[in-house]
Amino acid sequence: MLRILYCGAAIAALSVGFAAAPTLAQDGDGAITIGADVDAGTLDPRVMRDTTAYRVANLLYDGLVELSPTLEATPGLAESWENPEPTVWVFTLRDGATFHDGTPVTAADVVYTFESILDPELASRWRTLFTPISEIVAADDNTVRITLSEPYAPLLSYLDIGIVPANLVEGGTDIGTQPVGSGPFMLANWERGSTIALEPNPNWWAGEPSVAGIDFIVVPDNTARAQAFEAGDLDLIQSPLSPADIQRLADETDIVADIMGGLGVTYLNFNTQDPLLSDPQMRRALAMLVDQETIVEAIYEGVDVVASSVLLPSWPAYSPDIQQPTFDPDGAVAILEQLGWSDSDGDGTLDRDGEPLTLTLSTHSEDPNRIQAVEYIQNVMRGAGIDAQVSISDWPSFSGAVQNSQHQVALLGWLNLVDPDRLLYGQLHSGGALNWGGYANPTLDGALDRGRTTLDPDGRAAAYQEAAEIIADEVPYYIISYQGYQVFHTPEIEGYEPNPRGMMRSLMDN
Amino acid sequence: MIGYAARRLLLMIPMLFGIIVLVFLMLNVIGGDQALVLLGQEGTPEQLEALRRELLLDQPLTVQFAAYIGKLAQGDLGYSLFQSQSVLEAVSGRLGATLELAIVALLIAILIGVPLGILAAVRHGRASDIFAMLFAQLGISMPVFWMGILLMFLFAVTLDWLPAIGRGEPLLVAIVDLFRGNPAVLLDSLAHLALPAITLGVGAAAIISRLVRSAMLDTLSLDFVRTAYAKGLGPARVTLAHVLRNALLPVVSMIGLRFGALLGGAVLTEGIFGWPGLGQLSVAAINQRDIPLIQGVVLTFALMFALVNLIVDLAYAAIDPRIRYD
Repeated sequence: MLRILYCGAAIAALSVGFAAAPTLAQDGDGAITIGADVDAGTLDPRVMRDTTAYRVANLLYDGLVELSPTLEATPGLAESWENPEPTVWVFTLRDGATFHDGTPVTAADVVYTFESILDPELASRWRTLFTPISEIVAADDNTVRITLSEPYAPLLSYLDIGIVPANLVEGGTDIGTQPVGSGPFMLANWERGSTIALEPNPNWWAGEPSVAGIDFIVVPDNTARAQAFEAGDLDLIQSPLSPADIQRLADETDIVADIMGGLGVTYLNFNTQDPLLSDPQMRRALAMLVDQETIVEAIYEGVDVVASSVLLPSWPAYSPDIQQPTFDPDGAVAILEQLGWSDSDGDGTLDRDGEPLTLTLSTHSEDPNRIQAVEYIQNVMRGAGIDAQVSISDWPSFSGAVQNSQHQVALLGWLNLVDPDRLLYGQLHSGGALNWGGYANPTLDGALDRGRTTLDPDGRAAAYQEAAEIIADEVPYYIISYQGYQVFHTPEIEGYEPNPRGMMRSLMDN
Repeated sequence: MIGYAARRLLLMIPMLFGIIVLVFLMLNVIGGDQALVLLGQEGTPEQLEALRRELLLDQPLTVQFAAYIGKLAQGDLGYSLFQSQSVLEAVSGRLGATLELAIVALLIAILIGVPLGILAAVRHGRASDIFAMLFAQLGISMPVFWMGILLMFLFAVTLDWLPAIGRGEPLLVAIVDLFRGNPAVLLDSLAHLALPAITLGVGAAAIISRLVRSAMLDTLSLDFVRTAYAKGLGPARVTLAHVLRNALLPVVSMIGLRFGALLGGAVLTEGIFGWPGLGQLSVAAINQRDIPLIQGVVLTFALMFALVNLIVDLAYAAIDPRIRYD
C-alpha cells in the first residue's frame, strides 16, 4: 500500500515531464524566432505604441524612406526626393510597389497616411513629429509634394513610418489587426499575446526575401526570455534584458553578441517653475549630487553608459567636450552655502530663513532600476543635508503628474531619439508641447530653432552643440545615462546588421 | 439541489455588480489618465482633448459609470483601444489558455498533494512524513516566479527536455487529433503545458498535502477507524475507503479556494512562460489603464471563481450524504 502511494506521488510529479520528453522545442518551419517583451497592441503603423509594433510594422510596411543603421535616410517607397525650397519636399515614388492585396502604392496613399496621422481624432503618437507639415498633396500618381510651415530638418528621419493603403482603410478594414502594407513581409498569423508570424512577400519590389519567415514570440519576463534563447526556443533576443543575463550571454562563445549605444536617455527633469528650482545654481548643485558612475555601474550594471551632455554619441552633433556638471558633493555643498542654505539649527538638514531644504524626487514603479537610482540619489542628497523625499507611483499616475508639471525632480527617459530635435525641441523650447519643466531661455530657443530649420549638417551640429552647452550650464535636464542596446543571436543567423532601433530587415536573406 | 444552484447563480448578479463598482472606484482612486498612456509622452494637447472626449474622460464619474453600465446591460463589454479589439474578443481569445493552465495545474496539485498528504498521515512522525512536509514547506515558500525560472533552467536550458516558452495546440484540439491518429500534437501540447502547469501547481500541491495530512490525522484517531480495523479490514481499505472519504470535505473546499489563487498565480506564470492567457492580458490592461478591459478580465476571473466554488459546494453533497441542499 505504502509503496503504491510513494509511486503515485512520484509518477504524478514527473509524468507530465517524461511523457513529452522527446518533443523538440525548435520551430519546425525554419522561421527565425525573435523574443519580444510585449505583444503589439496594434499593427497600424500610424497608431503603433510599443517596440514590438515598431519592429513588426517595419517589416510589414514600407515608409517613404528607410533609415540605415547609422540613421541616414535611404530610398524606400520613394526612390528619390528633392528639396527645391527650404519648405518644400518632393518625393518620387518607385514604380511597381504594391500592397499585399495587390493594389499599387500611389501618391494618394502617402497623402492619406500623413493626413490621417495629422488628424487629432486618430490619436496617433507620431502626430507631433509631423505638425510642421502645412500641406501634403499628390502632384500625380507617383509624386508627393510636402509643404512645411517652416524649414524642418528632421523630417526625413521620421518619414520611415509605414504607408497604409488608403482605399482599404477608408473602406473599413481594420489594419490594426489585419495589416496590409507594401513591405517585405506579410502577416501569416497573429495569436494575440503569444506569436506574430510573418511570411515573405513574394511580390516585394526589391525581390522576395529568402528567409522562410520571422516569428515574434512574446515572453514578458526578461530572464525567462534569455533562458528561452539559451534553450534554443528563440534565435534572437534584444533589449530590454536584465544586466545579469547580458553579462552571462556576452561571455558565451557560441552566441553572437552586439552591445552598442542605444537611442535613449535616462534623465532628471527639473521643474524650473518650482520656486526652489528656478535658480540654475540650485539645479547645478543638485546635479552635482548625482553619482552617475555608481548608478550606471552598480544599478545598471554597466549596460548603460555615463552621459556627458544631452547629445547622444550616435548623433553627428555629439561632442565629448561638452560636459554637464559631474559628481562633486563638496562642490554642491559649497554652492548651496553661497545660496544661503546652512544647517543653522544643527538638526543635520540645511535651512534658510527657518525653512528646511526639502525636495521630492519621483519616478515610476514599473522599472526597478529607476527606483533604485532615485533612492540612491536620495541617499546622497540626504548626506549633503537635503531632506530629500522619494515618490514612486505607477506609470499612468507618475507621467500624468509630470505632464501637468506637478513634479519637482522626476527621473524618466526618452526613446527612439533618431534626431536631436526629438529630444530637445518639444522638451526645452519655450513653446515646446513637452516642456513639462517650464524652462524658457531665448538663447536656447534660438539655437533649437536653428537646429530645426538649418538643412546644412555642419550648421545643424553647431546649433545643437550651442544648445547642449546652455543645457549643461543651466541644467533644466540632467542626462544620467545613455541607454545601451544589446542583441544576441545564434551563429546560424547570417548577415544580420544590428542597429540601435532594433529593426530586423537585415534578417531578410537568411 | 437544482433550486439551490439556481439561487446561487442568481446571487452572482449582485456580486458581479458589486465587483464592477469596486473596480471602477479603485481605478479612479489610483488615478492615471488613459488618454495620456495611449498617446505616450509626445501626445499633443489637441489630441489629448479629442481622445478624452471620445473616452468620456472629460465627463463626471457618474456619467462614465452610467455609460459603462448601460452598455453592459446590453451585453456590450466595451472596446479596448489598446488591443484594437472588443473586450469580449480579447477576453474570450485568452480564456481558454488560462483555464487550461489552471485546470491542469489543479490536477497536478491534487495528484501530488493528496497522495503525499495520505502518506504523511499514515507514516506520521516517520521519515516519509518529514520528507513530505519538507516538500510542502518548500512548495509553499517558493514564489511562483522563482520556481518558474528554476524549472525552466533545469528542464529547458540544461536538460533540453521541454520547450521553455509558448503554447502548443489547445489541449482539446490536441485530444481530438489524438483520436484521428495523430498523437504528436498532443505530445507537443503537453510538453508546452508541463513547466507552467507544474510551476503553478506545486504551491497548491503543498497546501493540499498539508491539509490532507492534518484532516487524515484527525480522522485516524476517531472510534470508527478502530471499529473498522476490529472488523478485520486491511489498512489500505481503512485508509482509502473510510478515513480518506471522511477527511475529504475540508480538502474539497480548499481545492475550490485554491482555484482562485491559481488564477492569481497564472498572472505571473503566464509572464514567465509566454503563455497567451488572461493573466498577461490583465497586467497589460492595468498598466495601460485600459478600464473596459480590466473590468472584463476581473469579471471573468470573478465569474470563474464563483462557479468553481458553486461546484465545490454541490460536490459536498456527493461526498457527504448528510449534507442536503434545498
